[in-house]
Amino acid sequence: MDELSTIGFAPGQSPLHQLDPRTKQALLMGLSAISPWGRLTFLVSLSVVILLSFRAAGIRLSRLIGDIRYFLLFLLFVFVVRTVTFSGGWIPNISVELAGEALMVCWRLLMVVSMGALLMATTRAADIRAALVWYLKPIPVVDEKMAATMVGLVVRFLPVILFQAAEISDAQRARGIERRKNPLSRLMIFSLPLFRRVFLSADELVAAMQARCYSEHRTLPDLSFSRHDGLAIGAGILISLTVLFP
Amino acid sequence: MSIIQTTHLYHRFADDTQGLCDVSLAFNEGEFTVIAGANGSGKTTLLRHLNGLLLPESGAVTVCGKSVEEDPMAARQQVGMVFQDADSQIVGETVYDDAAFGPENLALGRLQINRRVTRALEAVDLCGFENKRPHHLSGGEKRRLAIAGVLAMAPRVLLMDEPFSNLDYPATCLVLDQILNLHSNGHTIIITTHDLEKVVAHAQRLVVMADGRVVEDGLPTEVIDGVARYGIRPPCSVQLGKGIRPWMS
Repeated sequence: MDELSTIGFAPGQSPLHQLDPRTKQALLMGLSAISPWGRLTFLVSLSVVILLSFRAAGIRLSRLIGDIRYFLLFLLFVFVVRTVTFSGGWIPNISVELAGEALMVCWRLLMVVSMGALLMATTRAADIRAALVWYLKPIPVVDEKMAATMVGLVVRFLPVILFQAAEISDAQRARGIERRKNPLSRLMIFSLPLFRRVFLSADELVAAMQARCYSEHRTLPDLSFSRHDGLAIGAGILISLTVLFP
Repeated sequence: MSIIQTTHLYHRFADDTQGLCDVSLAFNEGEFTVIAGANGSGKTTLLRHLNGLLLPESGAVTVCGKSVEEDPMAARQQVGMVFQDADSQIVGETVYDDAAFGPENLALGRLQINRRVTRALEAVDLCGFENKRPHHLSGGEKRRLAIAGVLAMAPRVLLMDEPFSNLDYPATCLVLDQILNLHSNGHTIIITTHDLEKVVAHAQRLVVMADGRVVEDGLPTEVIDGVARYGIRPPCSVQLGKGIRPWMS
């Protein structure tokens, strides 16, 4: 499980760890919402802050890159699709202008995912859940405790699924899966045992939670805003204002 | 006085396999019982009925005189269960979070939760581990954390499903030592195992299961000689004709 510390919670005492989870969620939602309008100034400012935050939280970038490698491949795919055009035949046409726009889109998506990884690495699932309950409470049609429980379980389960996927992949490579050239067959061989294990683990987790009297009406962590949260919100507003610059 | 009672318990799985067949047992308060049986004999299925994780096809289970089927939550507060795979039981991201999971579910106040967590971690010798990630603990530490997570709910009965599986010698000694401490502190202990060697010398009662039925039930000294015919390996000391001897010095 060592390899999953970027996406799962890593205990620590960094300024990000000490922020109220509501502040972190507000910053994540706010900065993600305005990122479609952000240009170079916004993206550079945000990138610098995110890099410094990763450093302060003690998370190695190489570990993050390893954890999100499939997402990076997806970004590469998005970049190629948005850059390459076919005008009047089979000859691909690459436009520098389109490449610049595609780069911006990929950069924004990467920033959103990095902020999500930072949130998960520095916030306990119980705190994320408590903050969600706080945000959803005023909305009349939403069962905030149920919704927060579902999100909490996803956050809890994601590292386990990644761990199991890595284990299955290693076991299959140990038996020479690379010799099979058909990607569809490889995908089937990989995904069937993964789904089976994930469902079995989910069943066991449910039984373990029931055995410990799990209910939606449980004691939530105490949340409190501090001066640090004010500073973080201020910094977030300053970064947001850079969206006005090219 | 019986703290848990099962009466003519039957359980059938979705694939039509008979899991339990006419199981009637009474467990007394403060008793240390070992339930032994080969793989697939119904040990885990029986344990899961004792706190309402599984409900019977017919028959009844009562905990402190109350039907488990009618109020499973009340049964789970009284009967804590430690699963065979500690990893599947751990739900918290830190040792503290995991030990606090049960008391939080009981909607206790934060101060009381902290008190219970501290006491439970002390009981299993995990003080100072509060901020560690559970998945970075050793197998023995994980098993002790699983026990702490249950102890924090202050149950009267502890069910343990194969508590020594996948543990090395020092970890097994530590876990066994802590189980014996819990028993001496007044907890009712029910352990399932297919390996009697480590624990049978400390048990007051030995129940043997085969094909979902209780086939032997009595004092370990009376039952131990016949366990081999149910696919259970007798302890070495018994095989050497020296009777039941403690595994741990």
